[in-house]
Amino acid sequence: MNAVRDTRKAPEQPEKTRRSEPRKVGAWREHHLWSMSISLRRLGTRPLGTLLTVAVMGVALALPLTFYLLLGNVQRMGDALGRNQSISAFMKPGQNAAMAETAASALRGRPEVADIVVRTPKDGLAELAEVQGFSGALQSLDANPLPYVLSVQPKPGLSAEDVSRLVESMKATPGVDMVQDTGAWRQRLDALVGVGGRAVALLALLLGIAALLVVGNTIRVDIQSRSAEIGVLLLIGASRPFVRRPYLYAGIWLGFLAGVLAVVLAVVLELAMAGPVGRLAAAYDGSVSFGGLPAWLLLSVPFASAVLGWLGARLVSARQIRRAAAG
Amino acid sequence: MIGFDLVSKRYEGGHQALTDVSFHVDAGEMAFVTGHSGAGKSTLLKLLAMIERPTNGVVTLDGQKLNTVRPGDIPRIRRKLGMVFQDHRLLLDRTVFANVELPLIIGGVAPADRGRRVRAALEKVGLLSYEKQLPEALSTGEQQRVGIARAIVAKPAVLIADEPTGNLDPQLAMEIMTLFAEFQAVGTAVLVASHDLMLIKRMKKRVVVLDHGKLVADVPATEVV
Repeated sequence: MNAVRDTRKAPEQPEKTRRSEPRKVGAWREHHLWSMSISLRRLGTRPLGTLLTVAVMGVALALPLTFYLLLGNVQRMGDALGRNQSISAFMKPGQNAAMAETAASALRGRPEVADIVVRTPKDGLAELAEVQGFSGALQSLDANPLPYVLSVQPKPGLSAEDVSRLVESMKATPGVDMVQDTGAWRQRLDALVGVGGRAVALLALLLGIAALLVVGNTIRVDIQSRSAEIGVLLLIGASRPFVRRPYLYAGIWLGFLAGVLAVVLAVVLELAMAGPVGRLAAAYDGSVSFGGLPAWLLLSVPFASAVLGWLGARLVSARQIRRAAAG
Repeated sequence: MIGFDLVSKRYEGGHQALTDVSFHVDAGEMAFVTGHSGAGKSTLLKLLAMIERPTNGVVTLDGQKLNTVRPGDIPRIRRKLGMVFQDHRLLLDRTVFANVELPLIIGGVAPADRGRRVRAALEKVGLLSYEKQLPEALSTGEQQRVGIARAIVAKPAVLIADEPTGNLDPQLAMEIMTLFAEFQAVGTAVLVASHDLMLIKRMKKRVVVLDHGKLVADVPATEVV
């Protein structure tokens, strides 16, 4: 030791200068940068624990994303299949082409209507003739018993109330005998999607709370295991916010990484579903397409998850550090 | 710089650790506090470090009464102190450099200055070549010197040490005490709690003797034989 100490410089005088204002700002920024890097390094020193926490949180957050994806696609499928579901208005027997055209013209003025096709009794008979087993029976008829039919195509995206209003107005149109709404299943599907949407929102809330608690517990254990270090830091002049900051950043990192994992899992599921849905689309002449999660959602999940992590860490850190300091 | 005026400390369990202790240590002065085990040496340092508060009397540090310090101000005042512990209390998962750097980070020293000051502190304790080592790779004496480097790196006005040579051989103990004396020489107030009478005699510094929490002798450096 003596040999080394021979080259030592003399000690410097005690420091008496106070920090200037710009240095205070600089120090604040440096404290944050230091806390960010030290928290990341700490997570790296226990990779398994970090991985497990991130995995649990990531899967918890991926679940509502997946349900949201499924629900969105059920809605799209309903929209796509319902697009071709027209409402049929059967004219009263004895109505002629001019009367049918008058009724069609009256309905064309309605805002809910996209298109109306007037189908003649002859068209109807031809359609029936194409149905296997009907051609023989139709030949035995003396006259065409079929009425004029107005095939009304509602505008896409109409609400159940709008469709219902359109049906009522069709029933009230002069010359119309009966209205058949083959798209009633859409209303039921919309209601089901509404229930599903609420369920997904509640699930997201519950799993978000679970993710928050997972981070909180991880940070609690981390603080407990570092109580001696916290004691030393406080003794050498660290303030409690300074001691606490790396744990808050650890929560942010855990949340952010879990959010990224959740997005990756959701995208993987999306890709896995794309194939089967493509085949389904082909079966419906391409009218059904697969919709992925929106970019804004994928981008916001890691940040929202980071906020959850910060909240979880904040929830436990102050109390745990107080306890560690007292110990 | 350091002042104890009629300071008493009674712990919650009823143990009377200190009774009416009064003495002052000026800037540029080094004093030993000695006494048998349980005499109150550690309590005295705990009061100075604001780990405990006195039951009666006034403890001052650099003109500030510590009795009335608000909890939020404690970290700022502790930064005026350099503390050396018998068990060194290093962070074992960080390098020697990172351990010594901590008070500078806490104190908000710019990164550009930190490296220079840490290396200067390590050079003073003869451990510059160990900066990348983890504390566990060092001997007890070397760990203690890292603890001293951490205590002096922020150039504190007051250096306090609780049995800093308890785990060291006599030669190392003397070298560390000489190091403390060097800081005293440049204006730092140094207060060392120790029960190593041989070492205290060899250092020829002021000695404050405690017995059952009472100050029984305050021997000036010139009268130490």
